Amino acid sequence: MLSIVAAVCLLTAQAPGPGLTARDSAFHALNRLAYGARPGEADSVARVGVMRWIEQQLDADHISDSRLAQREHEFKILHYDRGDLAERFGTAQRERQRRQREMKAGDTTNLDAVGPMREFRDLGGELQQLAIVRAAVSERQLREVMVDFWTNHFNVFVGKGADRFLLPSYIEETIRPRALGRFEDLLIATARSPAMLFYLDNAQSVAPGSAPPRPMMAPFRRRRFGMNELPEDRRRRPTGINENYARELMELHTLGVDGGYTQQDVINVARIFTGWSIQPPERGAGFAYHDWAHDQGDKVVLGQKFESDGEDEGVRLLKFLASQHATMHHVSAKLCARFVADEPPDDCVDAAVAAWQKTHGDIRAVLRAIFTSPDFWAPQVVRAKVKTPFEFVVSAVRAAGIEPDSTPRLARLVGRLGEPLYQQPAPTGYPETEAHWVNSGALLARMNAALMLAKQCSSVPTVPDHSQLVEAIDQKLLGGTMSAHTKSVILEQLADINDPEQARTLAVGLALGGPDFQRQ
Amino acid sequence: MTISRRVFVKAGGLALVSLGLDPLFLGRAAYALGRPFGAPGPILVCLFQRGAVDGLNMIVPHGEPEYYQERPRIAIPATDVVDLDGHFGLHPSLAPLKALWDNKSLAAIHAIGSPDATRSHFDAQDYMETGTPGVKSTADGWANRYCQHDREHANTPFRAVAFGPQLPRALAGSAPSLAIDDLQAFGLRVPQEAARDRLTRAFEELYDGAGTGLLASSSREGFEAVQMLKRADPTQYRPDNGVEYPPGRLGKTLLQIAQLIKADVGLEIAFADCGGWDTHVNQGSSEGQLAARLRELGLALAAFDKDLGDRMRNVVVLTMSEFGRTIHENGNSGTDHGHATAMLALGGPVNGGRVLGRWPGLSAEQRFEGRDVAVTTDFRDLFGEILARHLGATDLGAVFPGYEPSPGRFLGAIRG
Repeated sequence: MLSIVAAVCLLTAQAPGPGLTARDSAFHALNRLAYGARPGEADSVARVGVMRWIEQQLDADHISDSRLAQREHEFKILHYDRGDLAERFGTAQRERQRRQREMKAGDTTNLDAVGPMREFRDLGGELQQLAIVRAAVSERQLREVMVDFWTNHFNVFVGKGADRFLLPSYIEETIRPRALGRFEDLLIATARSPAMLFYLDNAQSVAPGSAPPRPMMAPFRRRRFGMNELPEDRRRRPTGINENYARELMELHTLGVDGGYTQQDVINVARIFTGWSIQPPERGAGFAYHDWAHDQGDKVVLGQKFESDGEDEGVRLLKFLASQHATMHHVSAKLCARFVADEPPDDCVDAAVAAWQKTHGDIRAVLRAIFTSPDFWAPQVVRAKVKTPFEFVVSAVRAAGIEPDSTPRLARLVGRLGEPLYQQPAPTGYPETEAHWVNSGALLARMNAALMLAKQCSSVPTVPDHSQLVEAIDQKLLGGTMSAHTKSVILEQLADINDPEQARTLAVGLALGGPDFQRQ
Repeated sequence: MTISRRVFVKAGGLALVSLGLDPLFLGRAAYALGRPFGAPGPILVCLFQRGAVDGLNMIVPHGEPEYYQERPRIAIPATDVVDLDGHFGLHPSLAPLKALWDNKSLAAIHAIGSPDATRSHFDAQDYMETGTPGVKSTADGWANRYCQHDREHANTPFRAVAFGPQLPRALAGSAPSLAIDDLQAFGLRVPQEAARDRLTRAFEELYDGAGTGLLASSSREGFEAVQMLKRADPTQYRPDNGVEYPPGRLGKTLLQIAQLIKADVGLEIAFADCGGWDTHVNQGSSEGQLAARLRELGLALAAFDKDLGDRMRNVVVLTMSEFGRTIHENGNSGTDHGHATAMLALGGPVNGGRVLGRWPGLSAEQRFEGRDVAVTTDFRDLFGEILARHLGATDLGAVFPGYEPSPGRFLGAIRG
């Protein structure tokens, strides 16, 4: 029934805007809902009909993705659960300390680069590369885009203590299954995730004056939890509330910085979440609620009273925040900045908010509203957004027909371009705007990356005629949108090159590193 | 706002190009707008000791009996300390810096740190780089905000440079800043020079046709920087005065910073990391792990000073670390995460030969939370003084939001 309604909506919705051919529309949709077009993909999407393709992408579960499933087998990290990783990390940590104790003066061995620490670090590289492979290979492109969006919206820094072993399950179990679900579910899942509880310090937020019953002291006494920095904080049992999560929950995850909350609201939210914590690693490092640490008083947030109700209080608060207009507006505007334009147009945001209200935060309905908004198809937004480093690398890999391997090579490249995955320390996540990503050093780095990737390009044939070559590159890499200026500069550069292979690599490098390919 | 300004500056540059002036001249001209040609401006070099350096064994309070009582295995024996003022002294590994103390261009700042009590490396580094202790969501760093707000200095591509693979938080933000991993490899990485020049020209042309947006202006800046560096020719660099930098990453980094300073490309803030200070286990005393790290630091700083010679009159080098370490040594002959630490400031403008800041003492009632050196100087008071009195910052309130900078709290680290 719902799908019929959706289909009817789509038929009546303003589909691709004026001035866009079916193929241009398809290319635009592939740039925004996917990590760019693979060679020929703009044509195939145009044949299906771009709005039908969008609807298929929104219904990701019904897209077969066997090739990705096959590729995922290569990644060891997916074979370990949170408990395994916690244990491996503990072992690595103890081994590191043992080596450090035995170290002689003047020994400059980097202890993180040898033995089990090295193995653990390699798993981190795998986790990053897995994101690249999924983004490049998956047929469920929109879902991968949304996984990236939410991972960034609910950012957790992998380098902070226990998050080194908590992050993989955060991605797999918290974010991925809910990327196209309901916002409220995602919000609750992140709030309960050990990774977030540790990252924003809620795990150690306790009601002032509270003390654990004696056996419960153990998790705070253990010296082996997480990194060196952890025992420090743990050895001294936490003695009061920590506001970090409460503040970022409202400022970043839900209401937005101008969302109308006060410092007193922040304190009361922190009180509501007292007791939301983490099990010790040897018991799996999962979510734990400690009633002894919970502030038993009543709290008021944004004028709404939350009666003392243990763990459920927090869930009620999250549902309340998820349904606030400020939250709908803040998150919708962020989605529009990601999919439409750095400065999201008001109409588009309003359409997203209306869909949110109507469906109580069904992410797919909100996205559908954005994709059917005239703003999404407006000529001034088409090819106007600059790709982030991650988008740049993955779209180049897809366009050039490069099969990403399971080594962290491409992940490191993304890092060199300024967006090391999961390594943004600030809870804001990485910014979306052109001003952040475009600067002289970053552009030179992109040109170098393009020259390197060009050597592996398999999608462009070697043809002796330079005009034909440039035409092929335009079709395969840029969906026929290469500017006349780019064409003429590349042709000029090819003028004195006779070796067709050399010409191909040079031309592909210039096309991938040039201005047209930086845009989406 | 920053964008339109940059576009404006570059649009001016574009006009010059169309008059047939080459990009190299353009870079020079842009730089000369800021100050008289040939008169290099003030430079700040920040060295972040990541991992929390043990301030008590770096600048040793050898006059405090508690220091020796608390550290039976790792204290620096008074006979080994390089005495500075009868109360404090340098770790023996820092002996190469004694001459700078004696000529009054080296100062130590003790009991400095953050008002935030966190003992997490991650949080404390973050706070020291954003310049907003206790506020996690600050998006940009203090050094970048300085560049955003103080525009006297012309924006050359090399105004703010981090040496390393990634931009540190302190330099992150909307003002342009560069991360350079290796000065010699800056630009297009193509082995043969002819091929490199050709590709450089090709990309320059491609982006020149990209209109007037940020893509075009930024690429122009980038190629300008490449040209400026090419002229400075980093591959041929030889340190002056027969200086040899110590082997290792820190020496290499400081050498490259010296190189960039001598190239006169408009460097104003350089930022570099040096790690290995998280000495929980087997820290050592006059010899050992910490001694080895400090030896490298001392040798590298001394080499940098000697290499730059007379140019040090415009340079301040500031070391910083996220917090200090426990007064009491732990069961593993190491130290755990503490609170206040020590920093070093050196260079011509530094009011050296003194240990600055109020020393809180080490006895039980003088400590922070009963165990750590108390913070008596907020790091922003020192950073702010250097920004204002050395670089000429005019709007410290914008650099350190939520903080009331007051010259009354300046330590007097910079000569008046």
